[in-house]
Amino acid sequence: MGNHFSYVKERIIVVKMSRLPRGCSNVCGDLACKMNICRTSFISSFSRFGYLPFWPSGLQLLETAWEKLPSTLRNRLLTLNTPFGEPCCLRTDITLAAVAYLSSHFSPEERPLRLSYADRIYSNPQNPDPNLENFQIGAELLGWEEEGADIEMIFLLLRYLENIGIKNAGIVIGDVAILRKILPSIKSALCDKLAKALVKGSFSEYFQIIEKLGVEDSKITFLRTLPELKGGHEILNRAKELLGNDNLLGPITRMYDSLKNLGFEDQINIDLALTRELDYYSGPIFDIYLPEYGKPVGGGGRYDGLLANYDIIGQAMGFALDLEVIASFSRTKTMPEKALVWSGGLSADSVFPETLSITQTGIDIELSWVRSRNSSMRLAKNRNVSFWIDLANRKVLRFSDNSDISLDRWLGELKC
Amino acid sequence: MKDAIDVMDKTGIPVQKIKNKGRKLIVEDGHYRFIFAKPMDVPLHISHGTADLGFVGSDVMKELEVPLIELADTGKGKCRIVVAGPPHLEKRFNGHESGLMWLTVATKYPNIADRYFSSRGVQVKILNLHGSIELAPVIGLSDCILDIVQTGSTLRANNLKILENVIPVSLYLAANKKSTQFKWRDISDIVKKIKEFREVENHWGNHMKE
Repeated sequence: MGNHFSYVKERIIVVKMSRLPRGCSNVCGDLACKMNICRTSFISSFSRFGYLPFWPSGLQLLETAWEKLPSTLRNRLLTLNTPFGEPCCLRTDITLAAVAYLSSHFSPEERPLRLSYADRIYSNPQNPDPNLENFQIGAELLGWEEEGADIEMIFLLLRYLENIGIKNAGIVIGDVAILRKILPSIKSALCDKLAKALVKGSFSEYFQIIEKLGVEDSKITFLRTLPELKGGHEILNRAKELLGNDNLLGPITRMYDSLKNLGFEDQINIDLALTRELDYYSGPIFDIYLPEYGKPVGGGGRYDGLLANYDIIGQAMGFALDLEVIASFSRTKTMPEKALVWSGGLSADSVFPETLSITQTGIDIELSWVRSRNSSMRLAKNRNVSFWIDLANRKVLRFSDNSDISLDRWLGELKC
Repeated sequence: MKDAIDVMDKTGIPVQKIKNKGRKLIVEDGHYRFIFAKPMDVPLHISHGTADLGFVGSDVMKELEVPLIELADTGKGKCRIVVAGPPHLEKRFNGHESGLMWLTVATKYPNIADRYFSSRGVQVKILNLHGSIELAPVIGLSDCILDIVQTGSTLRANNLKILENVIPVSLYLAANKKSTQFKWRDISDIVKKIKEFREVENHWGNHMKE
């Protein structure tokens, strides 16, 4: 009988990497945990003030969305036909869905309607943003609640940001009603171009158009100075001097004063040239900035114009924020410590009662059912958990100092 | 860069260190931090917030359409984007739009080209090249080109003729949206100074014409 040499050839498993469509992404790991914390915190903090969670449909009928959306959003729709043959677009704007919901589910007597949401939106990417999809959190208040409602939203928003550890978020407030009231006295074609130049951020184009206007001096002086009207409360005084009165400045002045009295003075900036699509927005608008992030993280405003498109007379205020950016800059409470719990061959009905007592101490766990002790411990190290628990031998290994301790003693220490 | 340095010098921004920067891509001088990037990358630096301000050609801004605040036209680096091609194309460009359908247009500005011809209701094939655009019609790669031109000497050297003017181009000062909100005092000073020296230059320009 000869010697047998047997070779155990290690099977090399080739995993074919799969990719997502361009512009799409999965989110997992720490960022996903933070997004979940920020989302939950947002919905719960707004629900305490009567904001109902809202989960809009992923699709919107194109015929409805097309007319209601501002022109800047229309050409960013991602369109498709449903299996039922209905031309639709992927949800690009949750505000639209909220207003449609209000118009079809609530009688005037049941308003105001307060909604909050956290969901994905989809649109054609706009340079330099490569994303087709973004995570959005936001709130809408639809009804007749006067200026108090405008302050309510901004106050709750700033308070929410503080609660998730984002101190000193900056808010820039403007009021499109000022331009809407001044421009009608000017030739209408130039009116639109003037507003578009401001929305686009093209001061040079704006000034070229101003030069072509033939309006009375106080208005043209105000319009010429408008892009420079950025700053604190002093801007309102300057605007009052230019306009000759403060009739148009009432809402934004009251908003500024309220926010100042609520303790946010250092965070507010006024920009009277801040403009959005004039047929959608109708009053105070705002952008939100984070100290360490170079672009607005979201914004909102009064959009009574959109309500009117649904034949609803009333007041609408809302905002939306980029959840992923918010989460990445949030400083939430410390994430719970984690443990990998090895079943050690015990049956499931023995394992679960033990694990429940572990989770009650505030430690998050993951179960490991593999037979091999070493495989389980290796996984624990890869997961970077704080503890590895051997349930069969009732031992806990602490990775911080490589010491082990009995499970009962460890639980006792945690409960203290 | 020479034009940008000239403008900064006139607006009181210190430029001594950047004139002798060598191969450095970041230079700091007092309150200022200068970042040197390729022209096509400047809008991205501004929009992402790594720069508060930037000098950008209006051709780059119109091509990339990155959201920026266009603060002021410095009046420097004046040129224009044109459609140019062999002289025999002139008749087609002077005739009905249908004569332009399906022309192949070589360009390093595919978005500007697409918008320009679309605005005329004309469908063309756009060939996106990155340099020596004038070569394309000469070697038969395209019918014509859409490119930037200053004196026109390169076009003439390659037997090409300007067929249409598309847009004027010059150097702009652009800003990040966040910076225009929270650093407006500093930024507005620079914008004012640009307007002032432009007024002076225009005044002397008109005076010389007289």
